[in-house]
Amino acid sequence: MEFELNFAPVFASYELLLQGAWMTIQLSASAMAIGLVLAVLGAWAKTSGPNFLRGVVSGYVEIIRNTPFLVQIFFIYFGLPSLGLKLDPYSAALLAMVINVGAYATEIIRAGIESIHKGQLEAGYALGLKPRQNFRYVVLKPALRTVYPALTSQFIFLMLTSSVVSVISAGDLTAVGSTIGSQTFASFEVYFVITAMYFVMSIGFSSLFSVIERAAFRYPSNR
Amino acid sequence: MMKYFRHTLATLAAIGVMAGTGFSPAQAQTLEKIKDSGQMSIGMLVDFPPYGILNEQNQPDGYDADVAKLLAEDMGAELTLVPVTGPNRIPYLLGGRVDLLVASLGITPDRAKRVDYSEPYAAIVVYLYGQTDIDIPDAEAMQGKTIGVARGSTQDVAVTNLAPEGATIQRFPSDAAAVQALLAGQVQAVGVSGTVIHHIEQRAPDRFDKKFVLREQVQSIAFRPGDDELRARVNEFLGRVKENGKLDEVHQKWLDSPLPDVLYDYDKEIPHQ
Repeated sequence: MEFELNFAPVFASYELLLQGAWMTIQLSASAMAIGLVLAVLGAWAKTSGPNFLRGVVSGYVEIIRNTPFLVQIFFIYFGLPSLGLKLDPYSAALLAMVINVGAYATEIIRAGIESIHKGQLEAGYALGLKPRQNFRYVVLKPALRTVYPALTSQFIFLMLTSSVVSVISAGDLTAVGSTIGSQTFASFEVYFVITAMYFVMSIGFSSLFSVIERAAFRYPSNR
Repeated sequence: MMKYFRHTLATLAAIGVMAGTGFSPAQAQTLEKIKDSGQMSIGMLVDFPPYGILNEQNQPDGYDADVAKLLAEDMGAELTLVPVTGPNRIPYLLGGRVDLLVASLGITPDRAKRVDYSEPYAAIVVYLYGQTDIDIPDAEAMQGKTIGVARGSTQDVAVTNLAPEGATIQRFPSDAAAVQALLAGQVQAVGVSGTVIHHIEQRAPDRFDKKFVLREQVQSIAFRPGDDELRARVNEFLGRVKENGKLDEVHQKWLDSPLPDVLYDYDKEIPHQ
């Protein structure tokens, strides 16, 4: 069988592809940043918060971690309007991604916090740190350093999962790719190119994460 | 060097496609293959009522399925119906996963570069269909409006071509998702066929109405380029079922209306490679 690879129509739309990739990067980076804040709050609530809050956060984490991302997106975009909350596709996609990554990262950071020995906490108090300072410097920072690899791979996974947001017509890289594919029928070529683009973006995020790691966690480890 | 590289890529791609599909290289002889094996596989949509649906037994059904069954019966072959989607139906055909498509494929010049068409076997009128309280008498009036379409569909092409600057086109993976967005109020209008409208009105009467005709479109059975013998065989079959009323019967069954007149004397040229 003759199968001619024809990349010309794909490269002709390179501006669209770059726009799509930029949309994916923006959505992912925003969701990572907001999701991290959400996760730190969630992890604090689950480990040190009042009982009532622990229950709420556990419920949130379990609901999100035990339902498919696709369904969560559909729920936010198609379901919420009937409750009066109408979001455009991008806000809906961002909200879904934040909620999703927030739940997973909450569990990751909670695990990190629980790995901190009680003695370290007591040492903090012995030095006269207030509870909030103690949580931030003595518990959270070493906890984040411990779970950093797990956290960042969850973030990369989030970026790859964001390919699903095209189902609610958000114009991310996958959406742009399918549009080009359906217009030119060069589907294989398009998916070849966007696969490479996702790969490059993943590597880019990984490199960024290692730079952040070196800058943020420079103090010596006890291991 | 470049030539060598291209050759390697083409080989790799061919291996990939063959490994993925179990594709036989005898592409042009689909008719013979059907005759020899006594089996044919036909790709059809299952998310495009009433042309292609999944019935209560979760089997492909609808107008397209009945046409495919008539055709297989006529050719004396055992039929396998393969569910495809709007975006992947042509790759399925070209990749050899199906022998032909009875997948409500409208004739467009772009698609004609990749597939060959039979005489039309169905016709669809596509409307812009939107909320009753919004006035959109013509294409210009789409300005400032949010229009939903199924990505890559004929209505996508029509809306994209007609829409003025300032109209927002939202592309969904299927008609069902676009209609869902309309029902949820996320878009003010959608480009959909008359039959989809028929179903929306059963569910949500009086909320929406037809704004204007986006395009009238005929659908054909699609073949891989070069399958001329199969195409001739299918055209002969279509001529016969149009004449003896069998196609009309199927149309009545699924669309509650007689076969559109345009199908009896279709005089436009069908692009062919």
